[in-house]
Amino acid sequence: MPALEDVAKKIRESAKRLLAEGRAEVVVGYRRGTIPLTTAPFFARTAEECDQLVWSNFARINLANYLPGRKKVALVAKGCDARSAVGQVVENQIPRDELYVIGVPCTGMVDNALVAAKEPRPIREVVETTDDSFTLKGEGYSVEVRKEEVLRRNCRTCAHRTPKLADELAAPEVPGATPDDFADIKALASKTPAERLAHFKDLIKDCLRCYACRNACPLCYCPICFVDETRPQWLGKSNDPMDTLTFHLLRGLHCSGRCTSCGACETVCPVNIKVREFNRILELTVQKEWQYEPGLSWDQKPPLTMFQTDDAAEFIK
Amino acid sequence: MNNPYLPYPVRIAEIRVETEDKNLRTFKFEFLNPGDEEKFAYLPGQFAELSVPGQGEIPIGIASSPTEKGFVLFTVNRVGQVSSWMHNMKAGDVMGIRGPLGHPYPLEELRGKNVVIIAGGFAVTTLRSTITWLLQPENRPNYGKITFIYGARSPGLLLYKEEWMAWEKRDDIDVFVTIDREVPNWGYKVGFVPAVTKEVCPPPENTAAVICGPPVMIKFTQPVLEEAGYKPENIIMSLENRMKCGLGICGRCNVGPEYVCKDGPVFTLAQLNKLPKEY
Amino acid sequence: MPEYIAKKSALTDFFKALSAGRRLLTPQGAGDQCRLAETAPDQVKLDYVNTHMSPKTLFFPQTEKLMAFHKDASKPDANIYSCAGDKAVPTVVFGLRPCDARGLSVANKVFQNDRFTDPYWKGKFDQTVSVGLACAAPAPQCFCAAMGGSPYGLTGLDILAFRLEGGDLGLKAGSEAGEALLKDLKLESADLAAVFNSQQAAAIQAQGVAPDYRPIDEANLMALFQDPHWLSTAENCLNCGVCTFFCPTCHCFDIQDEQDEKGGVRMRNWDTCMSWLFTVHGTGHNPRPSKTERVRQRFMHKLKYIPLKQDGVRGCTGCGRCVAMCPVNIDIRAVALKMCQSSAPSQA
Repeated sequence: MPALEDVAKKIRESAKRLLAEGRAEVVVGYRRGTIPLTTAPFFARTAEECDQLVWSNFARINLANYLPGRKKVALVAKGCDARSAVGQVVENQIPRDELYVIGVPCTGMVDNALVAAKEPRPIREVVETTDDSFTLKGEGYSVEVRKEEVLRRNCRTCAHRTPKLADELAAPEVPGATPDDFADIKALASKTPAERLAHFKDLIKDCLRCYACRNACPLCYCPICFVDETRPQWLGKSNDPMDTLTFHLLRGLHCSGRCTSCGACETVCPVNIKVREFNRILELTVQKEWQYEPGLSWDQKPPLTMFQTDDAAEFIK
Repeated sequence: MNNPYLPYPVRIAEIRVETEDKNLRTFKFEFLNPGDEEKFAYLPGQFAELSVPGQGEIPIGIASSPTEKGFVLFTVNRVGQVSSWMHNMKAGDVMGIRGPLGHPYPLEELRGKNVVIIAGGFAVTTLRSTITWLLQPENRPNYGKITFIYGARSPGLLLYKEEWMAWEKRDDIDVFVTIDREVPNWGYKVGFVPAVTKEVCPPPENTAAVICGPPVMIKFTQPVLEEAGYKPENIIMSLENRMKCGLGICGRCNVGPEYVCKDGPVFTLAQLNKLPKEY
Repeated sequence: MPEYIAKKSALTDFFKALSAGRRLLTPQGAGDQCRLAETAPDQVKLDYVNTHMSPKTLFFPQTEKLMAFHKDASKPDANIYSCAGDKAVPTVVFGLRPCDARGLSVANKVFQNDRFTDPYWKGKFDQTVSVGLACAAPAPQCFCAAMGGSPYGLTGLDILAFRLEGGDLGLKAGSEAGEALLKDLKLESADLAAVFNSQQAAAIQAQGVAPDYRPIDEANLMALFQDPHWLSTAENCLNCGVCTFFCPTCHCFDIQDEQDEKGGVRMRNWDTCMSWLFTVHGTGHNPRPSKTERVRQRFMHKLKYIPLKQDGVRGCTGCGRCVAMCPVNIDIRAVALKMCQSSAPSQA
């Protein structure tokens, strides 16, 4: 149970060293947020700026999202984020030698919706010193919350909490959690097509088409997303359920075999859509068909981005 | 209540291919409903949204002059979905136009002044409207010397050939048409618009310049005028930005606090000098 | 003008009378499920923080049909658009927060601007009686006072309700229509000015010391625009549209046509200045090509352009939604402070 400040110190030391050695020109990490229960992605370019780097139970955003196109960058990365960074190297979004990964073994990040459900009173301050609990403070109250009880769903089933491929670790290794059993996905698969369509329509009924899920996703680095194409325009832009669903389904397909379950999409969704459900369906498929998990090797490409002559082809009838 | 989003239905009376690359066509529209032409009362420099049902709308400057009755003219470049669709339409087809939108050139304020009109490429459209309006017998006496400088890459890319050739024969307007490079049997000027402007533009005293053209032409013509002594207040330009509503509501065409659609598209250089260059 | 009192024991009757001939919308549900919903007079809640989405959705929904056409060539109006907006329903909305009411009044001046009136907005806006509920205890993200408003502000409201000790509701008119309506409701009138003022002062104090953003008002537009801080301010922005979609004054939209073999519609959908597509020209040129320009546009629009166009009234009302919702914690208060620090005073 390392103190968050110890991890932060280690991150700052590494960041300063990397900048001083010229190994990195920018360190992408987290700073304190301006409101409780948040952090903000932060770009440190000087030793003074490095002092603003923190570690927190609320470091949810996947910073690998900021990598494509950068040079000489050091990345503060949880297990899932580091896997995304590896994926970006594998997918040629950033050369390996431009990237340095400061890995942070992670015991999971907090789902603010679960915090709000536990503590509906206005929260004015959060005090966090360790990575297993934190204290909420408000008008005339102070409650301690155990992190385990308010973890994001993806964190609860994260088998790769320690970023094994990182260039260095800022904290001791931690064991992985019990992996996702995909029970809900398997149950869904047994339903009729009509039932599944109804389920998906209900899942995305509040979608605003803000594309925060896409924009927070380190896999979604296309210069022009298919939803923004105008000639031809592939799909409508209203809140028509089929158009909205098409966006989510196609984004899910584009991410298949590449998603590291970092949960950024669900974290940023302003209307709490369980966006990962689309990804998890495909994650399960890719695990089953190709025994592949992304971001665990610097040179293994995602199966759906490759063609091999001995590919299984039973689906072609 | 008047609905400014709802287009007036129009019939395409005639389509004229303007340029040798066939990318520019002039559409002559007639209003389907009696009274709509009067409601669509416009002045040179204003624009309209051309509406193709099921395809969308595009903002296009009005090429005809309000002194030309019974029709309105728009010259459309084939660029995107709507304009490409329009290029496949034919005379007799029904579509819509919505407007007039934006502010016209400040022709009232230019009364008594010399006017030099500088056009590049297909941005000449609203300037065709302006010159046609200025040359009307009821308007021409109110203005001083009128100079028209018009350039295009090649002869085949010049619009409104019959019109400017007719203007050239008149003695109440000086017409200088230029192409980028010499071609056989070309009887007019050769050279870029800024160079021709430098050569022929009248002295700045009591003179205003109206410029419309591609960014590169404006970029190099503006200093020529300023060196010649034109004050920013007397250099009038028309901006383009991506637009949707045309009413100053949908929010995308702003340049600083000004909406190009509602507060422009006509601005003086003096106004633009105080605004971000987000166009 | 005197204030009025709706007695705790007769609140249901008050809401019944208020909504006679109108549908009653009030905030229902808690947390991020809180939204304006049709409510029976005995089901009105007073203990919410604020609706998750801003109330602009009432007059400016995410998707709105504007007009329609058919392709039946046997009819004379084939392929000609005719108006097809939803019919406005007489409505009273109770429980608007003063920040949001102020936001609606800013947006109203865009939809009904110096040259054009948007009939789709106006139709619904004119049919709606706006009743606010004052914020005695501001939420942590609230900063309306710093932006020139008040948790007891009347701007944009026909009536403002505020809670009195013992559970009665104090009522204060914010418009002539509101005053007339209060008179019609035959409520007990009272002079509550002292209570109102002391509650308001306490509520403003509860928001803490308000930063002074006036240097932005005084600064030269181009000085604010050209300041180098925008590069770092925008660096962590994801360019999602969350801030814009949740903002009570953000009014941007896209117009789209959709059709099938029988006919089609023209509609508008919320759009966002965070999007690359929002400003790109047909030629491929984009006046706001990167997120730096787009982020700058949003804050310049809220804090400089709108005040220039609306007599100094800011386009941010301090509702705090963008602060609470931004996935990467871009906080408009921090950005405003940067704008204050960077801005050279205006010459004019």
